[in-house]
Amino acid sequence: MVEKCFIPTSLAEALEIRKETKARPLAGGTDLMVQYKQGQGITPVFPWPVMIISSIGELRGIEKGEDGSVLIRALTTPYEIANCQDVPYPVREAASRMGAVALRNSATIGGNIGNASPKGDLPQPLILLDATVVLKSLDGDREVLLDDFILGSKKTDLRDDEIIYAVRIPKVEYTHVFYRKIGTRRANAISKLSLSCLIRVEDGAVTDFRASSGAAGPKVIRSRETEAILKGRRLEDVKSLIPEVLDGWNRAISPHAMPEYRRNTTRRMLEHFLLESVSASSECIIH
Amino acid sequence: MIEFVLNGRQVRFSGNPLTRLIDVLREDFGLTGTKEGCGEGECGACSVLRNGKLTTSCLIPVGAVCGDEIVTIEGLRETEQGKCLIDCFAEAGAVQCGFCIPGMVMAAQALLLCNSHPDEDDVRLAISGNICRCTGYDLIVDAIIMASEKGAGLW
Ligand SMILES: Cc1cc2nc3c(=O)[nH]c(=O)nc-3n(C[C@H](O)[C@H](O)[C@H](O)COP(=O)(O)OP(=O)(O)OC[C@H]3O[C@@H](n4cnc5c(N)ncnc54)[C@H](O)[C@@H]3O)c2cc1C
Ligand code: FES
Ligand code: FES
Repeated sequence: MVEKCFIPTSLAEALEIRKETKARPLAGGTDLMVQYKQGQGITPVFPWPVMIISSIGELRGIEKGEDGSVLIRALTTPYEIANCQDVPYPVREAASRMGAVALRNSATIGGNIGNASPKGDLPQPLILLDATVVLKSLDGDREVLLDDFILGSKKTDLRDDEIIYAVRIPKVEYTHVFYRKIGTRRANAISKLSLSCLIRVEDGAVTDFRASSGAAGPKVIRSRETEAILKGRRLEDVKSLIPEVLDGWNRAISPHAMPEYRRNTTRRMLEHFLLESVSASSECIIH
Repeated sequence: MIEFVLNGRQVRFSGNPLTRLIDVLREDFGLTGTKEGCGEGECGACSVLRNGKLTTSCLIPVGAVCGDEIVTIEGLRETEQGKCLIDCFAEAGAVQCGFCIPGMVMAAQALLLCNSHPDEDDVRLAISGNICRCTGYDLIVDAIIMASEKGAGLW
């Protein structure tokens, strides 16, 4: 069986093909080529038509908006993201820890989101920053919160005539930020657990606090309720509120495998971030 | 029809665009220096350069390299840089069974193209996606550092 494969060279052409044939985009192929592999020396077989979108120039590149937001187009690779100073720290850091060198040159942000694996590394810090996904179809654009776009493990709200065009990260101000990925080894390790946190302290008061956990449930976890515990509080009160935050966060996450380990590690990382943030004298990255 | 540049020559492929690049290299162009270990992007044995950047050819369909420049170990070994790397791998005694070595040399080349004076950490990071079952890596790291010193000016 030779299934249909298209290689559009422009976005307009890709959207036509998508509408007519429902062909699925193949960007870097680093998820799809493994998922549908047939074995050594054999061409992967896909149960649906495929369109290879890697030569569409309009889907490449990172752009900083006048409002301070950052637009990362779908074909941007982890290598490019990790090396772009316009991209906020936790997203850069997550990109720099994906796979190994070759993977970071092939994988794409669009594919990481489209695949919607709970172990995917980019959605976690993007959701921390309230990033949105820009979707295009022949009927026009729509922009939705990434947190809403990813419905669950391997499930997204992508319509079968749509393509992920880009991810937009709004300008988010913070004074302290943290990112940690825990895997089995340094290279080509799928996340066992990841956590991003940020806090904004202005004139001795916490004006923003957020955390997001990856691989600790079917999708990335945020908890507005837990975040609200610290918002508006004086910095000197934060220490005494840490146990409440940790308990709230522990209720929010729902790790499937090794729940004890994941809960304890998450708790320790979050506590570390908060303790370091309250004692740090100036803006900094917490390691 | 898929056209790309392979080791400096313009080439065409008219088969299924979803054919893995590694299969096109090995079967259609007879470039068997590129090895298949895992077939899943984990071992690096199939590494080639795509537009100067390291890529695992088992994960990429040939239809994705239209217009790109692909360099395999056969192309690299004809260059001064490639010769230097290969000589240093031999001199450092970095080769045992040899299966991982084409991928290692490609990873070393990708590193030296963007950092001509790497330290040991840079080298270890650069080959962290390449698995070697024989050497324990130390001699490979030595070989790459040696190449960066002996080949000063080449990169
Ligand atoms: C060795 C190895 C190591 C890995 N390590 C990591 C890691 O550390 N962290 C991590 O998060 N992932 C990792 N991955 C998984 C994978 O590389 C990433 O999920 C990657 O970002 C997928 O991108 P891609 O472009 O290759 O996806 P593809 O395989 O091309 O596509 C994946 C899915 O997204 C859809 N898609 C792609 N682009 C679009 C678009 N523009 N619009 C709509 N749908 C689209 C596809 O239809 C498909 O369903 C690893 C994979 C391998 C093989
Ligand atoms: S064969 Fe491609 S990475 Fe192992
Ligand atoms: S020399 Fe045998 S795998 Fe590396």
